[in-house]
Amino acid sequence: MMFARFSLLAVVVALASGCANNSPVLGGKNIGYGDSKAVELVTNEFGSTDLQMIAESMTRSLAQSGILQGRPVVQVYDVKNKTSEYIDTREITTSIKTQLMKTGTARFASDNNQMQSQVDQLKLQNQSGLYKKNTVAKTGNMIAAKYRLEGSISSIVKRSSDYKDVFYKFSLQLIDVESGLAEWMDEKEIRKTTER
Amino acid sequence: MASRVLTVATLCAIVQLTGCAAFRSYDSELQETNQQLASGNVDAALALLEKNNKGEDKDLLYYFEKGELLRSKGDLSGSQDAWREADSVVFKWEESVKLDTAKYLSQFGSYLVNDKVRRYEGYDYEKVMLTTQMALNLLAQNDFDGARTEIKKTHEREAVIAELRDKEYLKREEEAEKEGVKTEYKDLQGYPVAALDAPEVVGLKNSYQSAFSHYLSGYVYEALGEKGLAAPGYRKAAELRPNTALLERALLDLDKPAAKGADSDVLIVVQSGLAPARDSVRIPLPLPISGNLVITPLSFPIIKEDTSTAHFSEIYLNDKTLSLTALNSTTAMSRRALRDDMPGIILRTSVRAITRGVAQKQLNDVNPLAGLAVGIASAVTEGADTRTWRTLPDDTLVARVRLAQGEHQLSLPSNLGGSKIAVKIDRPYQVVALRVVGNRVYAGGPALQVTQPAPAAAVASLK
Repeated sequence: MMFARFSLLAVVVALASGCANNSPVLGGKNIGYGDSKAVELVTNEFGSTDLQMIAESMTRSLAQSGILQGRPVVQVYDVKNKTSEYIDTREITTSIKTQLMKTGTARFASDNNQMQSQVDQLKLQNQSGLYKKNTVAKTGNMIAAKYRLEGSISSIVKRSSDYKDVFYKFSLQLIDVESGLAEWMDEKEIRKTTER
Repeated sequence: MASRVLTVATLCAIVQLTGCAAFRSYDSELQETNQQLASGNVDAALALLEKNNKGEDKDLLYYFEKGELLRSKGDLSGSQDAWREADSVVFKWEESVKLDTAKYLSQFGSYLVNDKVRRYEGYDYEKVMLTTQMALNLLAQNDFDGARTEIKKTHEREAVIAELRDKEYLKREEEAEKEGVKTEYKDLQGYPVAALDAPEVVGLKNSYQSAFSHYLSGYVYEALGEKGLAAPGYRKAAELRPNTALLERALLDLDKPAAKGADSDVLIVVQSGLAPARDSVRIPLPLPISGNLVITPLSFPIIKEDTSTAHFSEIYLNDKTLSLTALNSTTAMSRRALRDDMPGIILRTSVRAITRGVAQKQLNDVNPLAGLAVGIASAVTEGADTRTWRTLPDDTLVARVRLAQGEHQLSLPSNLGGSKIAVKIDRPYQVVALRVVGNRVYAGGPALQVTQPAPAAAVASLK
């Protein structure tokens, strides 16, 4: 009996030791994981910190504005890139969308780039005859957006022989689709300077 | 005794070295290869390339040239494989630069080694053109997602290059001041200065940014529905080639709602000619050696433009004239690269010659025979670096048209052989890429079919 108890304990300990979060590390002397929120100052081009700063400040401002009552449906448009830099503006809106979605403040209609897949799927379900009738999504039930969200990012770059100054301005607005009125608007400014 | 051993060792070293890169005449190797390409014998050109690169350890140039030859042959996946090898070499270079710029710069600035015995690491514009050509390969197969990856790599790499060159030029100015070398390329008697100061060379912002690469990236992003990324592509192209109607229109049209109808947005890319060659010229310069000013002949690179293909600015689409817009000239980029490198080349060559002159004089005083051996060795090894990617197209011209889906016909002017190309348009966005060398046209991908009129006559005219 005593032996059985000890064995059980041993097994539990053995199992538990496997649960500990100390995964072994393989190779890689110069490679390491960093904090994804760490401030990135590698070059003064648009970087991860700028993206996070913009997304956070816009989400906070929009969520606190009080406009988004009762989880309205919002359609997100692409942010117009007016800079000469390859900035994936869709990633900024995706971050904003994700954060608003997580806090439950808004719901989002299919945006332009997802619309085609949505229509294709509806057509496939309704026209192919492949699916069981009662599981097929009916057409004509998609929810239209109450607001649309759109914005732009622009930059001013100045350079001298030993100085480079980059100024970004990101602006975003929420427009009521029915009235066409801008219900909320905010902008985020970022300045980065490099001395050589 | 010791000096005799040294003499023998030096002579042995010379004999052994003749097989290595220092004695390789890249210019004549590739002249033959390109002649084969211009007369339509891509297989013979490939065989020559293999013959000239028998060693196990293939360098970047081999993969550059091989990729372009296979692309001409129509073997797009083979071409992509060769370029992927080249890309991994460039990637390693990029990583080493990013990791330790200072170390890279100090190695590159080494005065001891002649440029042509260094391992070839490619000119900046070649690195940018590599991924651009890779994107064209993928676009010929309508793989826009694959092309997006190459295009993203192109502009990310461009940013690395820009940062590195900024630092390099600064460091070079400081070093030239320290070494007291004040010669500029404008002071070289007998050097073709005008070619480096031509308006199309000085007008470039730098040697590596290509308006075509950025325009193509704009087009690919637009085709994928990513207008936020397409805009900077078109904008950068417009900044690099100001007052170009095609580029300004692309930017304006981006904000317009998508055109209704079933017509396709087709980008016709015509790449013609071959990249220029690099040759070596000897120019005597007075150098301070052991307290005396000694006139020493030094070797400097010059750019030799390719003349295989006539320049043109229009082709025919369904028998109507279609004018093309030039977006890229490899000759201008190559000249610009040399123009920017010249101060560094002058500095390194002069310092090396001074060091060698001093050593030779000291040796001469002790043992004239050993001095002579060193003299011969240096005369043989000294010479400018003539390696450069030679099968790369020279001019890149584009036209953007809306075409109904279905069969269309492109044809070339009669002075370029008048070849006809049947094009099948079946996608909303499609890239049609042609390569013209001599009076041959090469086109890869499932949508294109080339008919070369009377090939025998075309070959005969080259002879």
